[in-house]
Amino acid sequence: MGQPQAGNAQSETGSSNAIRLSGREWLIVGAFALALFVLAPLCWQRVERLEPQPDYRIPYDLSNDYWLFTRCADAAVAAHDAVLIGDSVIWGQYVTREQTLSHYLNELAGRQRFANLGVDGAHPAALAGLLEHYAAGICGKDVLLHCNPLWMSSDKHDLRAKEEFRFNHPQLVPQFVPRIPCYKEEVSRRLGVVVGRNFPFNGWTSHLQLTYYDKMDIPSWTLEHPYDTPLKPLTFQLPPSDNKLRHEPIPWTQRPDARPLDFPWVGTDSSLQWRSFRRILEVLTQRGNRVVVLVGPFNEHMLTANSREGYARVKRAIEDWLRANSIPCLVPPALPTELYADASHPLSEGYRLLAKQLFDAHFAGKESR
Amino acid sequence: MLFHTWVFVVFFLIVYPVYVLIRRNNTAMNVWLMLASYVFYGWWNPWYLFLLFSTSAIDYLMVLFMERSRTPRGRRLWLIVSLVSNFGFLGYFKYSGFITDNLNALLAAAGLSIQLPDPVAYPNALLGVMGVSAAHHFVTVILPIGISFHTFQSMSYTIDAYKGNIKMERSFIRFLTFVSFFPQLVAGPIERARNLLPQLQSAPRITSQDITDGLSLVLVGFFKKVALADYLALYVDKVYAAPANFRAPALALATFAFAWQIYFDFSGYTDMARGIARVMGFRLMLNFNNPYVATSLGDFWNRWHISLSTWFKDYLYIPLGGNRHGTFSTYRNMFLTMVISGLWHGAAWTFVIWGALHALGRVLTRELERTAFYRDRIPALLKQLFVFAFVCLAWVFFRAQSVGDAWLVISRIFSSGWANPQFPIVMLVLVMSVWLYQFMYTSRAVLRPLLELSPVRVTTAMLMIAYLAIVAQPSTKAFIYFQF
Repeated sequence: MGQPQAGNAQSETGSSNAIRLSGREWLIVGAFALALFVLAPLCWQRVERLEPQPDYRIPYDLSNDYWLFTRCADAAVAAHDAVLIGDSVIWGQYVTREQTLSHYLNELAGRQRFANLGVDGAHPAALAGLLEHYAAGICGKDVLLHCNPLWMSSDKHDLRAKEEFRFNHPQLVPQFVPRIPCYKEEVSRRLGVVVGRNFPFNGWTSHLQLTYYDKMDIPSWTLEHPYDTPLKPLTFQLPPSDNKLRHEPIPWTQRPDARPLDFPWVGTDSSLQWRSFRRILEVLTQRGNRVVVLVGPFNEHMLTANSREGYARVKRAIEDWLRANSIPCLVPPALPTELYADASHPLSEGYRLLAKQLFDAHFAGKESR
Repeated sequence: MLFHTWVFVVFFLIVYPVYVLIRRNNTAMNVWLMLASYVFYGWWNPWYLFLLFSTSAIDYLMVLFMERSRTPRGRRLWLIVSLVSNFGFLGYFKYSGFITDNLNALLAAAGLSIQLPDPVAYPNALLGVMGVSAAHHFVTVILPIGISFHTFQSMSYTIDAYKGNIKMERSFIRFLTFVSFFPQLVAGPIERARNLLPQLQSAPRITSQDITDGLSLVLVGFFKKVALADYLALYVDKVYAAPANFRAPALALATFAFAWQIYFDFSGYTDMARGIARVMGFRLMLNFNNPYVATSLGDFWNRWHISLSTWFKDYLYIPLGGNRHGTFSTYRNMFLTMVISGLWHGAAWTFVIWGALHALGRVLTRELERTAFYRDRIPALLKQLFVFAFVCLAWVFFRAQSVGDAWLVISRIFSSGWANPQFPIVMLVLVMSVWLYQFMYTSRAVLRPLLELSPVRVTTAMLMIAYLAIVAQPSTKAFIYFQF
């Protein structure tokens, strides 16, 4: 393949610039691109240190940073025997870092045995995607997986509603099959998501935007900071583990907008979220993890009598399925009403009680050995 | 389907290997390309395909009838039928709303109570006669994407056939492929039958240089669109959405940014179109040739949207008499051509004014070029800056939502005081770098050889890839010219 005669470019092919590369030059550019795509995230990882403190949890604002989640998961697996996986109930929406379920479990274990890998808003369909594509490092471990029945409380929570609405972590849910009726993203973007999942470079660029550029892409950031160089925000420092209270830690009964909830509930036979939850179990067990499932405990006090019956049916069906499939689980009764901050999030004392039940039922034996 | 989206990547990964395998069988190649092009176009809205097929079929038949016609009068009749049908489709879909609104305003001004109905009422009346319930009637007249492009391409075939410049295309499928060829279907270049049809008549040869050059064009086009045009759009859209909220510096810079946005957007599309066609072994015409280094308005139109300006030159300006009948008729023809060219872009007075301004600019720079002082004493750089400033001024009418907004922008640029424009420095650096590159590239003797050095070309390509990968935002923003 010969060197193009750029000097004759315009007359020869009708070009308005000199950027015409020969085959050999394309090979050089291709090698550069490959090196960039492979090495940039790896080099960045070495420069931007992740050193999780005790009871580390992913900063709330970086809940969508799946590249960081991969690093956190790897770090957690390297330093802990067990990881806690779930949504904001595991993360600790109404509590500080030292009041989470993982903290109290560690307290009972007397060492840093449990890592908090909770992600805000990670409903089962998203969690399945998160674990499948961004948590390959979680293998051969004890995993405490939280099943939050909230995600089956209505067609909307279960993502079965037909009308479009914004839900958490759309990039993690199945893009094509099974079809999610309320997810109406255009095909091209869905394809982009599928490609991006298999391409760590994509996750790294998202990480830069989320961590350093106020959750904006860099062009939009320059619009907000017109006279700053885009290199300025790159401090190579990750934000510290989140220890802020996101909401006031008061019981739900003291909240002005507290009212009984009349959730219709979606049965396990037709629930998309339940199907996703089973997929999570499949992924985790295939990777050689020993999974313990914590079901709820949902705030039954907040439900109307009718809805409470629906919840009982769903809970029973979940428990029956777990037992039929020999999956260790804990299905605790509801906590006292004053230990809930809302429909599904316990307050600090609630976590302490739950940790005790969990530890005694599934982890105490291992600790004594 | 947009070139810079994943759907197109998948589409092309399916179309291309099959095309390469079957291209030696001409019928199979044309059927495959036609099907691919119809899928490409129908992806936006399958209803558009009826229009595309209808205009193509009518023009094919008219040329067939022309060929069978024994008298010049008969040939002219079929040409008129073709022109009426093409302008009829274009007129209804693109201009009916504009015409109705203006006629209604005139009627009201004349004190008449008669008002013409909304253009959508006509097909709905037909549907009503056919017994279709009102629930299934059309809500509004939709403008099919790229209608002006494929209509003009198809029309050029009938006009050239009428004039005897080309022979009739016997294969209906090949003609359908010519009109719908997906790389250039929705935003050009508006190809002539004499360039593209012969390429569809035999198996295109694909050399390694076709592939490397094609990829180079795609990379440059992709960079222009995603890294530059869509970035500039962030600032332009913000300012032009509410020009009353901004003062002179922001409005001037937004206009400057729009000049580059529309160039990057449109020429980026063209580069990608030409690159995609090139890897398939087809050569499409050059459509942009660094227009912002033009030294006169005439020069600008030799560099900007070349396929359209030559179309208007060949099929309107020259038939009107061109420059053959003295200064007055030359300028009259120029004026008519530019105003109609403005209307081609959109059905609004802003586009008419834009075209008229360009006509004025062409006359002005042409007259100036006739004076020895301007021709010999004014440095080329100054002429280039003058032309660029004039073109920017005209872009205000092209971009503004209304004539009122355009006047507001212009009056504020020339009168209102200082306010921090908040124009990103990165944006300015990027645009100025490209401008500098173009000046260097067009200064053949001195600086161009520098740009042609292998390390410079390779480094530029690497920087573009790195910028696209790390900085540019993922984009599914449509091209500006799709609306035309």
